[in-house]
Amino acid sequence: MAQATRQASAEGGKHTPVGTIHVVDPNALNWLFITWNTMEEPVRTTPDGRLVGAAMEESRWINETTLEVVLRRGITFQDGEQFDVRSFKRAFYEVQRWRAPHPPGTSLNFHPDTRLEVIDDYTVRMIFPEPDGAILGKFRGFHLASTRFWDEIGFGYKKLGTGEGHW
Amino acid sequence: MGADPLNCVWLDTREDRTDRVVLTAFEDHWNKERGPRLEKVIFRNDISPAEALDLVCTTEGQIDLVTEVAPADAEKVQNSEYAKLEVIDSMRILLGLINRGAEDAPLHDKRARKALNLAVDRARLVSEAFNGYAHQSAGVIPAYAGGYPGNEPYPHDPGEAKRLLQEAGWPEGRPLRLATTTSTEGVARMLEGDLRESLGIDVEVMVVPDEGLLAAQHALVEKVMALPFDVLLHAWIDLSADAPPAFMHHYLYSEGGPFRTGPPVAEFDRLMGQFAKETDAERQSALSAEIDRFVYDEVLSLFLVAPQALYAVNKNVNFVAHATTLELAETYVTEEHWSRKNGS
Repeated sequence: MAQATRQASAEGGKHTPVGTIHVVDPNALNWLFITWNTMEEPVRTTPDGRLVGAAMEESRWINETTLEVVLRRGITFQDGEQFDVRSFKRAFYEVQRWRAPHPPGTSLNFHPDTRLEVIDDYTVRMIFPEPDGAILGKFRGFHLASTRFWDEIGFGYKKLGTGEGHW
Repeated sequence: MGADPLNCVWLDTREDRTDRVVLTAFEDHWNKERGPRLEKVIFRNDISPAEALDLVCTTEGQIDLVTEVAPADAEKVQNSEYAKLEVIDSMRILLGLINRGAEDAPLHDKRARKALNLAVDRARLVSEAFNGYAHQSAGVIPAYAGGYPGNEPYPHDPGEAKRLLQEAGWPEGRPLRLATTTSTEGVARMLEGDLRESLGIDVEVMVVPDEGLLAAQHALVEKVMALPFDVLLHAWIDLSADAPPAFMHHYLYSEGGPFRTGPPVAEFDRLMGQFAKETDAERQSALSAEIDRFVYDEVLSLFLVAPQALYAVNKNVNFVAHATTLELAETYVTEEHWSRKNGS
């Protein structure tokens, strides 16, 4: 029986999603690729691997140890919750709970004594005890999620009781 | 819940993957220019990569994208009626970890390490082991990544290699122990010949069986027991291309680096300390180059190749390959794709 098919279009830069693909990905990092396809981070990478802003619109160093992060407006999580500084703050406290949250290793950790200072709904400052030149790369592994994600699933929290090695 | 271009219906984080993982389009994603352009992505974990490659090359409507295509299979994809080959310079490297702490071999001596590098014919390695789908390495940072210092790969110079190894005092009759996992055994066999012929010494290839991989990894990372190899073939990656020392050099050589094979190198750690605290992008890039130049000059590894990533893709899928990830937001299918003709 014939079905009507949706036509692809790109009006005003918006694409109407059409089609299905089947993927076989034996890469051991498949779990990470799926995370990057489905979760938001402050930064993402371009096809040639360069970091660009994603949920973070821009950042600048206020002084040697303070990074001001301006968050993007107009982001909605898949469950309808609006993204703002509260989302960033929640993700920060969730990741800081663990000693080794990231499977690739602790080089992605923020310093345990890092503090946040909220400026407004879309601006937050990260205050480090020492300069962190790797912070933008660390943002690649800083997954931002809605309240429901943290409350109901988390990175293995409910199932495993810990977020160590599961971020 | 995240906010990226696709929803995840279910993702299992156990070692054993579920048969399928289904991602559906999140149409309210903020970045309209990127996508999502696909309605659905289905990860099939219920068939083997070899079977998947056959299906993408010989059928339509079964498999649309297979990652990690081996260079030896590239031609099969190129000759396929249904699939095309996508290739990208990736943030992947393959090198030899040199056991600078070996007790009965002078690998603490830079001359011996340089001899290993001069013994390898990288051009042949690229053309024969990778069918051309790799770049020769000159240090850790690939030429297309941030902070590349512009080094040239060490030349293939068997005469100088042999001279340097003798000068470093390689013990008579002591074989070189070259370790590898099963995934890089082919490369090891090719290197075995180069090293034996160039250096004039015997080479023992030690293949870590798949069932012994975890124990071998523990031994490497924990550094409690003496390492049983002189050189271990090691594949590594980066999560971005901007500042490789943060992930690549740190893991390979830092005092706290899990893959460091030998005593800490004070000058390297000093440079990494500077790098870690540098928040100016230009100065950090200059430091990246200085760090990579240092590991190249000190010959801290057997530098080999930066392999490209190969994908087999259905001809009606416009796949945008990424250097560091498998990103699907920009990928779309043409009107001729089976899923659009079927209304799937």
